[in-house]
Amino acid sequence: MTSMAHDLAFLIPEILVLLTGAGTLVCEMLRRPRTALTVAVSGLLLATALTLPLLGVDTSVFSGTFRIDALSIWAKLILLPATVLSLLLARAELHGSDREGTVYSLLCFTTFGALVLAGSGDLMFLVLGVLLSGLGAFALVAYPRNDAATEAAMKFFVFASVTGSVMIFGLTYWFGATGSTLLGALAGLDKAPLAAAVGLIAVIVGLGYKASLVPFHFWAPDAYEGAPLSVAAYLSVVPKIGAIFALVQVVRDLPVSGGWPLLLAAIAVLTMTVGYLAALVQDNVVRLLAYSSIAQAGYFLLGVVAVGVSPLALPALIVFAAAYAAMNLGAFAVALQTGRTLDAFAGLGHKNPAVGVAMVLFLLSLTGIPPLAGFVGKFLLFGAAIDAHFTWLAVVAIFNSVLSLAVYLRIVVPMYRQRSDAAAPIFAPEPMPLARLVWAIAFVFTLGIGLAAQVLLGRLT
Amino acid sequence: MLPIVSITLFLPLLGALLIMAARKAPVRVVHAIGIGTSALTLASAVWMWSRGVLPVGFAQVEQIDWMPTIGAAYRVGVDGISLPLVLLTALLFLLTFIFSAKVRERPHAYVVLMLLLETASIGTFTALDALLFYVFFEISLVSMYFMIAGWGHEGRQRAALMFFLYTLLGSLPLLLAILGLYLGSNPHTFDMRVWIAHPPLTGIAAMLALVAMLFTFAVKIPLFPLHTWLPAAHVEAPAAGSVILAGVMLKFGAYGLIRFALQMTPEAFRYAAVIILIFGVVSALYGAFAALAQTDLKRLVAYTSVNHMGYVVVGVAIAALAIDPAVRALALDGAVLQMVSHGLVTGALFFLVGMLQDRAHTREMARFGGLLKGLPILGWSFVLAAFASLGLPGLAHFPAEFEIFLATLRVEPVALIVILGIVVTAGLYLRAIGQVFLGEPRAQWKGLPDLNARELLTMIPLLVLIVGVGVAPAWVLDVIHTTTATLHF
Repeated sequence: MTSMAHDLAFLIPEILVLLTGAGTLVCEMLRRPRTALTVAVSGLLLATALTLPLLGVDTSVFSGTFRIDALSIWAKLILLPATVLSLLLARAELHGSDREGTVYSLLCFTTFGALVLAGSGDLMFLVLGVLLSGLGAFALVAYPRNDAATEAAMKFFVFASVTGSVMIFGLTYWFGATGSTLLGALAGLDKAPLAAAVGLIAVIVGLGYKASLVPFHFWAPDAYEGAPLSVAAYLSVVPKIGAIFALVQVVRDLPVSGGWPLLLAAIAVLTMTVGYLAALVQDNVVRLLAYSSIAQAGYFLLGVVAVGVSPLALPALIVFAAAYAAMNLGAFAVALQTGRTLDAFAGLGHKNPAVGVAMVLFLLSLTGIPPLAGFVGKFLLFGAAIDAHFTWLAVVAIFNSVLSLAVYLRIVVPMYRQRSDAAAPIFAPEPMPLARLVWAIAFVFTLGIGLAAQVLLGRLT
Repeated sequence: MLPIVSITLFLPLLGALLIMAARKAPVRVVHAIGIGTSALTLASAVWMWSRGVLPVGFAQVEQIDWMPTIGAAYRVGVDGISLPLVLLTALLFLLTFIFSAKVRERPHAYVVLMLLLETASIGTFTALDALLFYVFFEISLVSMYFMIAGWGHEGRQRAALMFFLYTLLGSLPLLLAILGLYLGSNPHTFDMRVWIAHPPLTGIAAMLALVAMLFTFAVKIPLFPLHTWLPAAHVEAPAAGSVILAGVMLKFGAYGLIRFALQMTPEAFRYAAVIILIFGVVSALYGAFAALAQTDLKRLVAYTSVNHMGYVVVGVAIAALAIDPAVRALALDGAVLQMVSHGLVTGALFFLVGMLQDRAHTREMARFGGLLKGLPILGWSFVLAAFASLGLPGLAHFPAEFEIFLATLRVEPVALIVILGIVVTAGLYLRAIGQVFLGEPRAQWKGLPDLNARELLTMIPLLVLIVGVGVAPAWVLDVIHTTTATLHF
């Protein structure tokens, strides 16, 4: 087997995602949205299945520019099913709307971008991943074609262009200092501290926007609010996890002397605190969840600062990514079915006990209450941070967890309040069987990852 | 051998699942399942009691792998400190279910939550894996939050929110301490037995872990000045919730103080023992004086909890300071027995206050008077429980407090100032009895019914045990002493 064929064999899942996106687009051209959905879902599930044989592989392809390692493999295993759930949510929300199939196709392409990010071993792949996962996302946000959506997409686009350019500009310093675009060459940066610093800041700007780290988060609440809810759910999970994993791919080769752990720790503190403080005053559930997803990005950074120091860091990041995908998609699915305001949640627990219990568990899991998925993830992240001598960061994270409880209880409290009839909507919302399916699946994973984290951990260490 | 610890632990959960499966079951059936499950749990706990404990280490250990990659496993077992608490928990829950058989408001959710809370409580006392302990510890918070928020009195939402936030803030430092101990152990494990046999941390790290744990348990016990959530939660909680909160959940703090703080960071604990002792003394005195200032009967009982749990902390601190092993065992015997007695006595008092409130819809002491004539059984039960609470010889608190004070006298006589608390408690209970039950009966309260069969069934076991533990404490103390006599710290 030639080396080219050998390399391509490792990339079958990615290639399949790309083909699925194209196939979905063809179905949309034929005006067959239902077929488009079927193609997209089955394509992504097949790609997930084809990733399984790769478990345990640690290599790179195309002369080290793209990595097939734990991060990129688990990114596929987490993000592809998460995209499938997003597809189902999109179907539930946008069924019957004009150009429905383009949404499915764009979701596939954007996921492809996130996968490129998570496996990048080269600066060029980093840039490519940011662009690929961005371009589709703008269109997705603008899909409803009303004022709110257009404004949201505009903000998102401008923000992305500026941060993207800053990143490309800064990366040229790294290229200049090391003479290579390979991330593996970054170890040589300890001789050029200035170039190292400029490049680092540029990467944090570029990936920070995508992962919605503070202070590059301003686009997120507006974009989520203007976009269809299924798209907001998707954006809060898939590109974000891709960007965080890309950040790990970068910093694992970066010399610690550059001081990046401390810088990232400071951003983690800002992200968690600002995210939850802002969430505390939202009355719109979508904006509340948007700020919550900003804050959760800060928790990811607890694992990132420990990369290379603590053996717990990578398992923690992967477990938390899986947990976060499940619980966040679950919460968004319930919101899709229930409504966008806190008032819509009034009395939900009495009216529909099953949804009530599921939503409470999603929110408690986001807080990090055992024995749910979010707890296992955060617990491992705290452990990694303490192991890397960032105990103070774990302490700050813990205070933020208390704050987060206050945030999430803002949704829980009205759910169990007796609802006055005046507040009841005139028309009951249409039942959404697909949304129910999505939160049911998310529920199983939120509980399952919490109780049987060993299934993941056993394959990670 | 039958895994009786796990059976005791998961029986309530099984009952909860049963009720969830039978969502259309009528109210009577739901309550019957609750009472039946908790009765079986009590029987199972009695079986555990009959198997007894070992002189050294933990007995009846059961374990299964859970997350072997990080050294966490499902490990449960008991020793002389936890076994009495398990029995107390199972008993109080059964009585609570009997008492709550009147609940008509969303009974399914109520019974499910209480059963979940029972599993969490028993799990907290029997867990031998720190991660498992933390899981149960937190589940109990969540279930109690929903109990208060769902079935409490007028200001319940606010009180529930405060309770949840306060105690979550309290419990998260424990998570840090657990992580610290985990990373300090070599090879990494969450096995509490290993941590007890070989304390993983030393020096400054141990001290930091101890401070984090003390914060957690001080909130839970609660110790002055971290007690402010307690009166607020009790005032709004339903009577059954108060019984469990005071009777069982406060013991998590005291139990953790011994199991974690004392046994896993012993050196640091000895170093800080004087400060812990001072906190215990201040808390006991503060609780007594604060109770003196209350006009609401339930708040009064809530503050006496602060007083009684203060004695437990004094006992544990004295045990750490003591050099003579006999004195050390004496102090710990007293502290553990005090937990059991407090569960029985305060449980009885909160039940009685709840029964009074069900009839009169008020708890303001000044509005009552002469109730003993109209409600003799309720009245005399309250008098008995109140006398027990103020430490009358022959009743449950006396042997426990006597042992604590005796050990204190041998180790740190100055701390005996804490006895002043007994005087204050005696005064406030006599005043409360005088105001509520003695004097001329008021026309307003004529015709209130006395305790019915369900309420009698709730009260009698508690009153019998209060006298039983007071007159013949040996049957409990023997079990406790088996462990404390050889406790390694």
